[in-house]
Amino acid sequence: MDWSAQRYWDDVTEGDDVPRVEFPLTVFRLVVEAGANRDFNAIHHNSELARTSGAPEMYANTGFLLGMWERAIREFAGLGGSVRRITGFRMRRFNVVGQTVVVRGRVLGKRREDDAALVELELWSEVDGEVTVGPGTVTVALPERTS
Amino acid sequence: MSWEDAWQPVVDAVGRDFGCGEVIEGADAVDASALRRFLEPLELDCPLHHDDRVAREHGYRGVVAPFSSYFTFVAPPLWRPDEAAVFTSDERDAPPEGIAARRFATGLEPPYSGYFAADFELELLRPVVLGDRLHRTGMKLVSCTPKETSVGRGAFMTWEWEVRNQRADVVARFRNTMYLYDPH
Repeated sequence: MDWSAQRYWDDVTEGDDVPRVEFPLTVFRLVVEAGANRDFNAIHHNSELARTSGAPEMYANTGFLLGMWERAIREFAGLGGSVRRITGFRMRRFNVVGQTVVVRGRVLGKRREDDAALVELELWSEVDGEVTVGPGTVTVALPERTS
Repeated sequence: MSWEDAWQPVVDAVGRDFGCGEVIEGADAVDASALRRFLEPLELDCPLHHDDRVAREHGYRGVVAPFSSYFTFVAPPLWRPDEAAVFTSDERDAPPEGIAARRFATGLEPPYSGYFAADFELELLRPVVLGDRLHRTGMKLVSCTPKETSVGRGAFMTWEWEVRNQRADVVARFRNTMYLYDPH
């Protein structure tokens, strides 16, 4: 990722893609994630217990899934962007170990509000082409070339 | 009484703040080690989260915490030095004592053993930087909808709460929905 490149509000167009980011899920990664974000609900690191809860396998926790969105947003917005609001972060399906979660998105529109130059993104996570999280709406403030 | 009727006391409690004015302090301040570990499984290499110079050049007071880490920094400890032991069982899957009390729940629910987060909304108001200490305030139940799903019978419960820093500034507002259920 080249962090020296900044995306500007002026250059964003409705329908633009948010670059996809992939997250392969392994037992190792889920355990590292649980330790890092301190979500120790066993359904996220214990296959047996996850199955007794009705899930097919251990699965990614909320903080991890939200972090995936944050990385995709940050890579779109660059260092000068800032997230204002996220709605519709709905976890529809389990994102289980052995799968690869892909975060994707597109620009819904852009507007000015007070002094801010805002972009609305539609974001979602998918596994094998099926949406697992979202689609939600993310409001991001971007710098303007003229500012 | 049907299983749905058993959730009626929770439905009747919609609108009540179960936080009772309590402030839930995060176990740890936002520190460099915790941030590094947080970024690792995400492979999030944005310098705002690890490079003080870059963060300040972009107008922040210091290295910025990712917003997805706020849950982590408002999480209370599993155990404190002045508390009784929490790892009291050698049953393979036993959770530590007291962990159930940390969940988003009213205490009015019928018996359930499963729970997971279903939905989130967040509004970000101020950045959080290295050295900040976060706490959670408020725990207002804004809806409760009993529903049978593929994993069991239970209810979707939506809560509103805030994250504040050590100066009591609100840094973020959250609305989250949990599904509490009795597995099939």
